[in-house]
Amino acid sequence: MPKIAVVRRDLPPTLSAVVRLGAALAGIGIAILSISVILGVDAWTVTERVVGTFLRPDMIRYLIVFLPVGLGLAVAYHARLWNLGAEGQIVMGAVAAAYVALFTPLGEIRVVGPLAALLAASLAGALWALLPGILRAYLNVNEAITTLMMNYVAYSLCNYLVYGPWRGRRVYGYPETDLIPDASKLQWVHGYSFSPWSLVIAIAFVPVIYLFLYKTRIGTALRGYGSSPAAVELSGISGTRLIILAFFVSGALAGLVGGNEILMYHRKLVPGEKIGAGMGFVSIMVAWLADLNPALMPLSAYYVSALHYLRMVMQVGELTEPVARFFIGLVFMLLLVSIFVSKYKVVIRK
Amino acid sequence: MALISLVGITKRFGSVVALDNVSLGVESGEILGVLGENGSGKSTLTKIIYGVYVPDSGYIELRTDGLMRRAFFSSPKEALLSGIVMISQRPQLVEELSVLDNIALFLGYSRGRTRKIVESTMSRFNIKLNADALVGSLSYTEKQLVELVKALSFKPRLLILDEATTYLPRDVKARFYEALRTFASIGGSVIFITHKIPEALEVCDRIAVLRRGRLVRIFSRKDVFSIDDLRKAMFEEVSPSVATERVEEAKAEDGKVLRAEGLVVLDDYGKRAVSIDELVVERGSVHAVVGVAGNGQKELCEGLSGLRKAVEGRVVLDGEDVTRSKASERASKGLVYIPEDPFRTGVVLDLTIMENIRLFATGRLSSDTVKKVISELRISPPEPRIKSYMLSGGNLQKLSLSRALLLNPKCMIVHNPTRMLDEASSRQVKLLLRDSARKGVGVLLVSEDIDEVIDVADKISVIANGRIVKTLPAMYPRLREEIEEAMSTYA
Repeated sequence: MPKIAVVRRDLPPTLSAVVRLGAALAGIGIAILSISVILGVDAWTVTERVVGTFLRPDMIRYLIVFLPVGLGLAVAYHARLWNLGAEGQIVMGAVAAAYVALFTPLGEIRVVGPLAALLAASLAGALWALLPGILRAYLNVNEAITTLMMNYVAYSLCNYLVYGPWRGRRVYGYPETDLIPDASKLQWVHGYSFSPWSLVIAIAFVPVIYLFLYKTRIGTALRGYGSSPAAVELSGISGTRLIILAFFVSGALAGLVGGNEILMYHRKLVPGEKIGAGMGFVSIMVAWLADLNPALMPLSAYYVSALHYLRMVMQVGELTEPVARFFIGLVFMLLLVSIFVSKYKVVIRK
Repeated sequence: MALISLVGITKRFGSVVALDNVSLGVESGEILGVLGENGSGKSTLTKIIYGVYVPDSGYIELRTDGLMRRAFFSSPKEALLSGIVMISQRPQLVEELSVLDNIALFLGYSRGRTRKIVESTMSRFNIKLNADALVGSLSYTEKQLVELVKALSFKPRLLILDEATTYLPRDVKARFYEALRTFASIGGSVIFITHKIPEALEVCDRIAVLRRGRLVRIFSRKDVFSIDDLRKAMFEEVSPSVATERVEEAKAEDGKVLRAEGLVVLDDYGKRAVSIDELVVERGSVHAVVGVAGNGQKELCEGLSGLRKAVEGRVVLDGEDVTRSKASERASKGLVYIPEDPFRTGVVLDLTIMENIRLFATGRLSSDTVKKVISELRISPPEPRIKSYMLSGGNLQKLSLSRALLLNPKCMIVHNPTRMLDEASSRQVKLLLRDSARKGVGVLLVSEDIDEVIDVADKISVIANGRIVKTLPAMYPRLREEIEEAMSTYA
């Protein structure tokens, strides 16, 4: 009787990346085929829409969210610190940026205004992440639960502001603030809803985080902390400080993105659920699709952004919302299979 | 009559070839030794037989119903079903259960039936154990004996010992060997993995020598050979034995670099494991603490280094009270601790060799430094970019020891540094300790190995039940006898 066994393997990183890339592309192909076969939708129509989405710059608006947040989360996850609170950290960044733009004189000053708002946003996100970080570092409180719960606290806090004291005078009773001053707005690329400056900032973090994690002593220690805290501690690097640093960095990047959402996209503070819109959770997937490798994060963020955007534009004509969800579900499932294939192999012996 | 044959086994881990076309057979009723230096592929070989790894090429044949048939194990459970049991360096027991329950769990029988089997095993192999004791309350030595009883109660056809006796005291080792001989005499086969030549010579019928993943030669009892032949096969050259030079004269009184006063440290169960009135390590000397394993050595090291809290007393490093400092602070202040277990606390397995070295080195790290460390400690394979988990236990230990070269310590605490190392590497490490002392570092060597301690220490303390029961200078006449007596009287 032939025997089948699943055994671990170590693929070289480049080959592992190729396997994933191949699976990502093949996944889209299989998804298109199965939709046209099962639902009888013309394959060409689906292909056109899918390929179109991947090539259209509209999805950059999402890339600007997913890339920095994914990079920040990778820092925490490398240390096996489960920060699930990017959503709330984004919202708090948005609140801080809205405050600076609307309620301080800085909001009326060009360049300085947006910079100050983004700085405040980063700080707010970092501080929001720091609370669970400190609880974890000093009292060993499970950070997965605290970060998760703080997402909803952030929603509520933001909602209190837009329904209450910050509600705008010219918004006809909608739960939102007035528009931020023009000086604070980040200008769009003509015809699209993203700013080139935001894109530049997002991409600039790729080498920064990569060098930090792989070329510095502290970054290296962060990557080792999760599996061998004692070995890191005995090398003279404080574990407590590493935990706090990891939460600070991942919170700051999420906060920055939240601030950018206000200055670049919404241009006013809206309810928390609309700011985060679940993107903080999707970013977790972005981080893991890149295998927590900052160098692969742009690719992973691009892929997820395109699919995220696809879900919105696909709901036209015969391609309804359920079809779009089916499509994306299928693509991600195939991607999971590829991750399995790159880590394990199946051996058959007679 | 062969029981099991390995045919052309090759196993690679990434770019590292752990085993290269190894073919080897074990007869029924034979004790086959597998001898090799650190990283020669011994453990990989056993893990393939035990189903932990699947070979890249080659296969295993096992005698089944009188015929040699190909066998393929993809898990230890399948190896067990074919009558193969392994005992490794670390006891694989559930601490919260009794000895009997552990064995019942392994055999899959009821408690009553297990008790009968265990009793007959113990009388047949002349092993005495309290079957109702909680495993968590046993010493390492006793746990290994439990492992032996557990394995023999299974009535295996092949018993694999992967460095299982390396850490045992001499008299227990002898009992282990006796049991193995009895087992072989009733037709059982044994694969005995070791890096210690005397161990292999004492118990094995044949000795297969591995070097860098290749089978070099098989020595048989019938052949005439010298220890040097074995050494040559193992290391390629016969390394001259290095007499460690020692600074004999007494040190100046003001050279106290580490001082523990009234130190009390608890073990994992909240029991008092260490209670020491005074322990002083002087600059430029090696102070050894020797004792039977499990007498508070680990807790002492962890209490001094800061991994474990001191419930009473003080730790003073170079005149500064560090009792309240965390391990990382003590390390940055020059107190370097090299734990005995490189897997859990010595090295970060997920990082590469180079990255581990970067962790230990403050300031900029050049690739020359990395190369120097790797060659000085003879870490094999000497490739800085491979992940540490691919290294063998001994090479991990060497990587852990590289801290001593990189952190510029004032004081080093080293726990059983050579236990996992072959002869050549042990000598290297002993030289490293002496060399550090010559450069002015205070070295605290905590060890179970009397020979090692006598070899390198300037001053020797004996620890028993967490207390220092005797301290002698290295020059003391009848040193070994005094130490052995103190170790056995108080323990």
